[in-house]
Amino acid sequence: MKTRKLWVLLAVIALIVAACSSSDSDDTTTTAGSCGTETTTTTDTGSSETTTTAGGGDMTAPDAIYLGAVVPQTGPFAGGGAQVVRGYTYCIDIVNEAGGVYVAEYDTNLPLEMILRDDESDPNKTTAAMEELAGQDITVYLGGFASPVHAAGTAVAEKNQIPYLGVATALQALHEQGYQYYFSPFPKSPDIATSVFEMLNASIPEGERPTRVGIFAEATDWGEELGALWEEAAPQYGYEVVLHETYAPGTEDFTDIILKAQAADVEALLSLPTPPDGFNIYKQMGELGWKPPFSLVVRAADVPTWNDLGDVGDGVVLSAGWHPGLGYPGIDAINQRHIEEEGRPADPIVGSSCSLIQIVADAIERAGTLDHQAVRDALAATDMMTVAGPVVFRDDGTAPIDNPLSQRQGGTIVLVWPQVEGAGELLYPAN
Amino acid sequence: MSRTTSLVLWLAALGTTIAFGLLVDDDHLITLAIQTLILGALAMSWNILGGFAGQVSLGHAAFFGLGALITRDLWLGGRPLILAVVIALSVTAVAAAVVGVPMLRFRGIYFSVGTLALGVAVWLTAGNLWPGITSLPAEDLRSYEFTGRYFVALGVLAVTVIVSMWLVRSKLGLGMMAVREDEEAAGATGVSPFTHKMLAFVISAVLAALAGSVFGYFSASYYPQFPFSVVWTFEAITVVFVGGVGTIVGPLIGSLFFVVGRDLLNSTFPELQVVVFGVLFILVVLVLPGGFVEGGQKIFRLVSRRTANQPGKDADRESEHREGKERI
Repeated sequence: MKTRKLWVLLAVIALIVAACSSSDSDDTTTTAGSCGTETTTTTDTGSSETTTTAGGGDMTAPDAIYLGAVVPQTGPFAGGGAQVVRGYTYCIDIVNEAGGVYVAEYDTNLPLEMILRDDESDPNKTTAAMEELAGQDITVYLGGFASPVHAAGTAVAEKNQIPYLGVATALQALHEQGYQYYFSPFPKSPDIATSVFEMLNASIPEGERPTRVGIFAEATDWGEELGALWEEAAPQYGYEVVLHETYAPGTEDFTDIILKAQAADVEALLSLPTPPDGFNIYKQMGELGWKPPFSLVVRAADVPTWNDLGDVGDGVVLSAGWHPGLGYPGIDAINQRHIEEEGRPADPIVGSSCSLIQIVADAIERAGTLDHQAVRDALAATDMMTVAGPVVFRDDGTAPIDNPLSQRQGGTIVLVWPQVEGAGELLYPAN
Repeated sequence: MSRTTSLVLWLAALGTTIAFGLLVDDDHLITLAIQTLILGALAMSWNILGGFAGQVSLGHAAFFGLGALITRDLWLGGRPLILAVVIALSVTAVAAAVVGVPMLRFRGIYFSVGTLALGVAVWLTAGNLWPGITSLPAEDLRSYEFTGRYFVALGVLAVTVIVSMWLVRSKLGLGMMAVREDEEAAGATGVSPFTHKMLAFVISAVLAALAGSVFGYFSASYYPQFPFSVVWTFEAITVVFVGGVGTIVGPLIGSLFFVVGRDLLNSTFPELQVVVFGVLFILVVLVLPGGFVEGGQKIFRLVSRRTANQPGKDADRESEHREGKERI
């Protein structure tokens, strides 16, 4: 009898662990406690229409153009994932309110409809969700948040030969795999590696610049990539890397590397943590009473909860890929909606993800069909203005696009680079 | 069930799975099938150690991960797949033998905790050593072939089934079961508990590595740490319990139920999938501690009894009795 109870207990634990292995650690918002996959569909569906093709056959139009989105809504990337979903939703609504997308194959306008899956911030669940979506008549995949989930997802898209669009990933290596179905109009590591030094040199007089650079890089493919690029770029701009430390994602105690940075007299701290590591690093820096004159956190500082850090989090510069101050057409509409719904200007990833919908709608209209290969070819030929600026894809799926740098100033994210109209001044030193 | 009936059922199952691979042209269904076969093979391997030898290992994923890691690395490095698998299995066998010496000194819950600690340590270490993703080359992805991989996975599952069947009928397997029931009594009758546990541990690890090899061959992309995750161990255990621990058919039914059930719930009741699956699972374990196999046996006995009570069935009963005697 005892043995039987032990088996039952073990089995129940097994189920719970198997089901919730990597979720439920949402440090920001959304769906706390859910360790399942969530499905949400957005927008109204249109009615089916029948068209006669040139060959004389009847083609029944689908109710909508389905976009398969796999986005972290729970787990450590949930905060960023929420921005991605908002961006997709806003632009889908804008496209649908304007009448949808004209598809010549059916000679009718079709609304966009997002089929949303939660990968729980686990790249391995990203691939599973994408395999499941492949059976749902989707026209394109829309990616989630953070390089690990994109790295897993793009290979599946290539295998299934379904176009994949993603932002919130700076991993350049993914574009060097020879993938043909992956498109990402978002700043990549080489852009980030140089833009920070360009901004510092343009904003701070020589002699006052923070020339002693420290790097905190997570032990991931992106961490290795950007860490190495910073090392390479620093001397070219007159900076010296005095510290380069790596840590495993999910590390809870950063005391050791913080003390090393303090001892090395680091003046400019460059880091690329994904949540919750970024928050923990700065929290512990505050506890240890150390704040460098300049610090850049590529990601992690873009979520509203960053304000909870107080003084140590203020003045941090982030390279999140977009800012509503860039002034491109269409930004006002999404910014206004964001202010109404969230009570603050549009978060950085909202604009970038919104631009993907504009790009997809344009490509489908030009392709005139929902055929994956035709849509892929149309995407490759994209040349248009979006809320993230003009987009023309290179052969590797990247696009030369603005890499705005923003700074946390008194709880607000202020655009400080490039120095476009309305941009603010870089506050330096931040300590 | 007579031996003839059993053979017919096995052949029918084999024929159905082969026909499925040849006729089904839906990539999603084939993907689900491959996932079922891989999990089934992993569960079968765990069943040898946990079900036959009674050693509840919670670190089984370490061997699954090792198989995936070595096979994938060598295969993507240009070695023939077969050679990569053979090397992976050989390394795993040695690793299991080395690890087994200290681990098998523990008994019961201490063995479980020890293997869990080992599994978690290996899992975390793999994440630190190999932080980058492993993806198939773009050309291979675009020409990805599902059917071949399905039959590789089916073949691996067949190997685990054949090994399990052989163990059930062999002196070695009987020795493992004797150790499971009572180590002291087994020792007193000349069965070496340590040797039998060690052999179960190594055979189970090698078969887990074989399942891992298929995972490495099948997956488009994953982080090398993933197949080392304890989730694989717990999924295998869940599958074995749902199907029927210590049986051959149990892990097969369990893996089919688990993978298909999970997929159906994901696409139909995504918000409720954990609750629905959890309640269903607890019910199965509580009502049928022997899993679906026990449920099936109960139904079979009930039907047999009712049929036997009908007039004119004496000849059939006599025939069954004869077959039973032959089996013994």
